[in-house]
Amino acid sequence: MFIDIDCNQTKKYNQNAFGDYFVSKRYPDEAKLIAVLSDGLGSGIKANILSCMTATMLLKFIEGDQIPISKAAEIIMNSLPVCKVRRISYSTFSAIEVDDEGNAKIVEEGNPEFIWLRDNEVMKPEYESIPSKTFKNRCLKVYKIKLKLGDRLIFCSDGVTQAGLGGGRLKLGLRREGLVVLLQDKLKETPDISSTELSQYIVNQARNIETDRLAKDDISACVLYFREPRESMVFTGPPYHQQKDAEYAKMFDAFKGKKAIAGGTTANLISRELNRPITMDTTISIGKLPACSFMEGVDLVTEGILTLTKTMEYLESGTYDIDNAAGKLVKFLLDSDRILFMVGAKLNQAHYDPALPIEIEIRKNIIKKMGKVLQDKYFKQVSIQYM
Amino acid sequence: MEKKISVKVCLGTTCFVMGSSNLQELIDSVPKKYGDKVEVSGVPCLGLCSIDWEFSKAPYVKVDDEVIKEATVEKVLSAIDAKLK
Repeated sequence: MFIDIDCNQTKKYNQNAFGDYFVSKRYPDEAKLIAVLSDGLGSGIKANILSCMTATMLLKFIEGDQIPISKAAEIIMNSLPVCKVRRISYSTFSAIEVDDEGNAKIVEEGNPEFIWLRDNEVMKPEYESIPSKTFKNRCLKVYKIKLKLGDRLIFCSDGVTQAGLGGGRLKLGLRREGLVVLLQDKLKETPDISSTELSQYIVNQARNIETDRLAKDDISACVLYFREPRESMVFTGPPYHQQKDAEYAKMFDAFKGKKAIAGGTTANLISRELNRPITMDTTISIGKLPACSFMEGVDLVTEGILTLTKTMEYLESGTYDIDNAAGKLVKFLLDSDRILFMVGAKLNQAHYDPALPIEIEIRKNIIKKMGKVLQDKYFKQVSIQYM
Repeated sequence: MEKKISVKVCLGTTCFVMGSSNLQELIDSVPKKYGDKVEVSGVPCLGLCSIDWEFSKAPYVKVDDEVIKEATVEKVLSAIDAKLK
């Protein structure tokens, strides 16, 4: 199973820092994922520091694997200081540790209860309560659940459940019940919605019901979706040994997922070996990037180095929805969970002409960097094969 | 029926950075000038830069079978004119 995870946030209005903090990390070797959402007391910089400390420390504790997640959370709960003025703890948190088989351990302290949806029905998991020995008003909830394909978990900060509080229509705010209704309606409409879109939807809806659409608290929503992975392949650069062209072209053809080609020579190679003509988009793109081409059975065909370099730039800066070849490649990559890069090691001598702009980088380096960004920033499973 | 002249502008990496991005205006201007006697299209790569690299003469354009090195709009247009004579 693949875990599609994303978190979306908005800050309290008039603040310049997020008071909620979300952190997640994949551990490909152990086939597991850890995510933590923490809400710091107050808002702005202070809350940011508190939640950031809590979340990152908890993540480090859990990933160390020396103590179980419930113990790690208990230690944090017992040691979080109390705000002098308000007499409540400095931060609240939710954390999840889940493997690819769907075995999940969840701990919560102070945050709204998470929502577990299966076939669009809310599940009611059992939990164990661990009251704090040092603070009377703190109590840890520990869940051990088994997830199935299609399940969704939704974590949020109280900014979501209390959205609209005191306003006109919702005197008590959105509350958990309101959020469940929102989610169920949305999922009825679009059952396959990605975690990115669903978390965005929750945050937008929460903000919309606030008076004047100004968030009165930091709003965060984190969604986990367990589904079959979407696989894709990017074929770029001709193989080092030309006699292997046919072999690699066949491999490309046989691949089941979505396919992209980045590189003019590469596109010609596939076209020749698979006997499929290429047609080029006639849109003119002066001074930007070469236009895309089309080939039967291939989802995207672009030029190589320039497009890849631009794609890398977009991925790093988080620029989406750009209408050019690189923008299309960004979308292609972000719509996938498992990405295989097939990278040809053959060099094009003409690229080393000193008359060329220095933006022309070595293909292997760009792909290596791109793989890292996709893995670290976008939580994709990336593999790179050189040929 | 007369055979159309085909003009292929290489939009591979080397050619693109060496100036073929500017040659794309041919896609618009040539049909205006010659009507449907000439067909212009971009191609992903003509594969010429890697053969010719030591004396790279990118950007390349192909007018029928004739290769135009260090192509400019003027060079391409005069090649088309020569073919049409």
